[in-house]
Amino acid sequence: MKRLLENIKIAFQSLNINKLRSFLTMLGIIIGVGAVVAMMSVGVSAQQTVVQSIQNIGSNLIIISPGNIEEERGDIGAVIGTVVRDELKMEDAEAIKRESTLIEDVAPVIVGSSVVSYMNKNIQVSVYASTDSAEKVYNFEIAEGRFYNSSDVANSANVAILGQTVVKKLFGRMDPIGKTIKIDGKNFVVIGTNKPMGATQFGVDQDKIISVPVTTAQNKLYGFNYVNLILAKAKSEDAMDEASREITKILQRQHKIRPGEPNDFTVQNQTQILDTLSIITTVFTITISSIAGISLLVGGIGIMNIMLVSVMERTREIGIRKAVGAKNKDILVQFLTESIVLSITGGILGIIFAVAVSLTLSKFTMLQTTVSAMPIILALTFSTMVGLFFGIYPAMRAARLNPIDALRYE
Amino acid sequence: MDMNKKEEYNSAIINTIEITKTYRLGEREEVRALKGVSLKIQRGEFVAIMGPSGSGKSTLMNILGCLDTPTSGKYFLENIDVSKLNDNQLAEIRNKKVGFVFQTFNLLPRLDAFHNVGLPLIYSREGSKNDKKERILSSLEAVGLKGLEKHRPNELSGGERQRVAIARALVNDPSIILADEPTGNLDSRSGEEIMAIFQKLNRQGRTILLVTHELEIAKHTQKIIYLRDGIIHNFEKIKNPIDAEQKLKEMPRLENKMIENKIKQAKSV
Ligand SMILES: Nc1ncnc2c1ncn2[C@@H]1O[C@H](COP(=O)(O)OP(=O)(O)O)[C@@H](O)[C@H]1O
Ligand SMILES: [Mg+2]
Repeated sequence: MKRLLENIKIAFQSLNINKLRSFLTMLGIIIGVGAVVAMMSVGVSAQQTVVQSIQNIGSNLIIISPGNIEEERGDIGAVIGTVVRDELKMEDAEAIKRESTLIEDVAPVIVGSSVVSYMNKNIQVSVYASTDSAEKVYNFEIAEGRFYNSSDVANSANVAILGQTVVKKLFGRMDPIGKTIKIDGKNFVVIGTNKPMGATQFGVDQDKIISVPVTTAQNKLYGFNYVNLILAKAKSEDAMDEASREITKILQRQHKIRPGEPNDFTVQNQTQILDTLSIITTVFTITISSIAGISLLVGGIGIMNIMLVSVMERTREIGIRKAVGAKNKDILVQFLTESIVLSITGGILGIIFAVAVSLTLSKFTMLQTTVSAMPIILALTFSTMVGLFFGIYPAMRAARLNPIDALRYE
Repeated sequence: MDMNKKEEYNSAIINTIEITKTYRLGEREEVRALKGVSLKIQRGEFVAIMGPSGSGKSTLMNILGCLDTPTSGKYFLENIDVSKLNDNQLAEIRNKKVGFVFQTFNLLPRLDAFHNVGLPLIYSREGSKNDKKERILSSLEAVGLKGLEKHRPNELSGGERQRVAIARALVNDPSIILADEPTGNLDSRSGEEIMAIFQKLNRQGRTILLVTHELEIAKHTQKIIYLRDGIIHNFEKIKNPIDAEQKLKEMPRLENKMIENKIKQAKSV
């Protein structure tokens, strides 16, 4: 034990001598570990947030999303790209509402992000845009004022409903109803506020939102003519499957898809959505693991390279140590400790870097992050193993040196 | 074997029988650095090996110090047949039984005097931390470096560096001290100081074997072994060895200070 501490001390001393070189050597490990831990913390919490909001959204919901998820399964780009796909239109929602017998109501949805300001204060918020049906379809409750009505939707009215966090940030104790705010620089009248929904168990603030009519979002804020999702509420739980089939038929007709041709939309219920999500997570995990693997490999080769150089530069030191009684094992352990200290230090710096990135992201963007113990433990374990694996060869070279040759080395 | 001979055999610290060392340079060429050296060093002796450059002095010392192994012949160190030992056992011998002093000091530049002297103790298991500290301090005191524990090699003069090296050789209380041209890189006054330390250590009972090519230095010892072309060709007992303490008193200090300064200037250029 005392021996180990002595070796760790020696290792730090020799790494300290050439700080820049040690740092550059560690860089591979720092970046590898940092990237993995940071992406895990963003990814894991993003997934948790989505799961949470899908479960919170309401009951008996059928979710229609653009693109054919079945066909594009595993294509992570296509799945994530939902937000920019244009297959679903307002007319689709209207057709379902008009023709379906098993659906109680339908709400087209656009999810965006905008800056809201009042006087000289401003805040970045999530924007949920829908129609007056939203109140019925998913859990959307008004605290004060009113929800937007069908004429607001028909006229693309510049009206907005604010979440409680937005109210607090912009108005403090003042009554926001009737005030004119700016959303992305355009004037909007506040017509209502949401009941507080609090934070999810993962710390995502569900009150940092505003809601506007879906037509307003299309025409005034984001300038496109599609919607991101259509939510349909079935009349009963038993009618879910039948209602899904009905919606599929309506949309096939609407999109002029001939029998045998693939659909350009996907109809799912909440359970199916969660299944899809777990596939995304798997793909995400595999991607991250490959990045981790490659960067740890590169980092490891860097460590091996530097350790070989270090053994050469310190041949004389090795000779001196052997001359006064160091055994092969002592030299082996000394150099092995050094490479492990190098890689663990890299790992720890990587984690610090990742935590800093996560905190910055959650502070300045809408992304919420959770730093959990799991990736940190994994990162440390792997970087220790990298140090051990790539350090063993240089350490063995050092240990095998003959004392007299080592002493004579210039 | 009569009683007298046996006595002598047992008290010999070093006993070599027909040691040879051949260096191979490539396929055909070889250098026969030692061509059969037999010698005995008794406990408490202070012996010098003298010879011109290239006569095999360092080769012999490295073998005696267990840093290298002979090509043929036998080497007994305190009656242990060294040629039968493996790497680990040789390391143990270098650690416990031999204190080696090099011409070029061979200190670790990053460590201060205290830790340089303590280096052999890192590799010997026994002894408490306090005990080890005691031994380091008393070794430093024995070579007159008390108070310089915290100085690194580059903050010490050549003579002081060599004294740190001697303290390191002493710290594990070895059976013999081997010094290969310990004064070779020093000015004459520092060299004389080193010889004074060796003489003092020898008076305290230490066995010392020293290599030099300077007769003046060799005359400080009790016996000179002459080596030439890898074989011993003469012995000489010194009846009245030079007393280094005495000689130091006679040396004009001032002149030496000037020389020392000149050397320092030359080195810094
Ligand atoms: N590692 C080596 N490889 C080849 N030849 C060597 C080696 N070491 C010493 N020699 C040769 O062996 C001879 C004795 O060298 P050495 O023991 O260093 O002599 P000295 O110390 O008396 O000057 C010299 O001819 C030298 O060139
Ligand atoms: Mg020599």
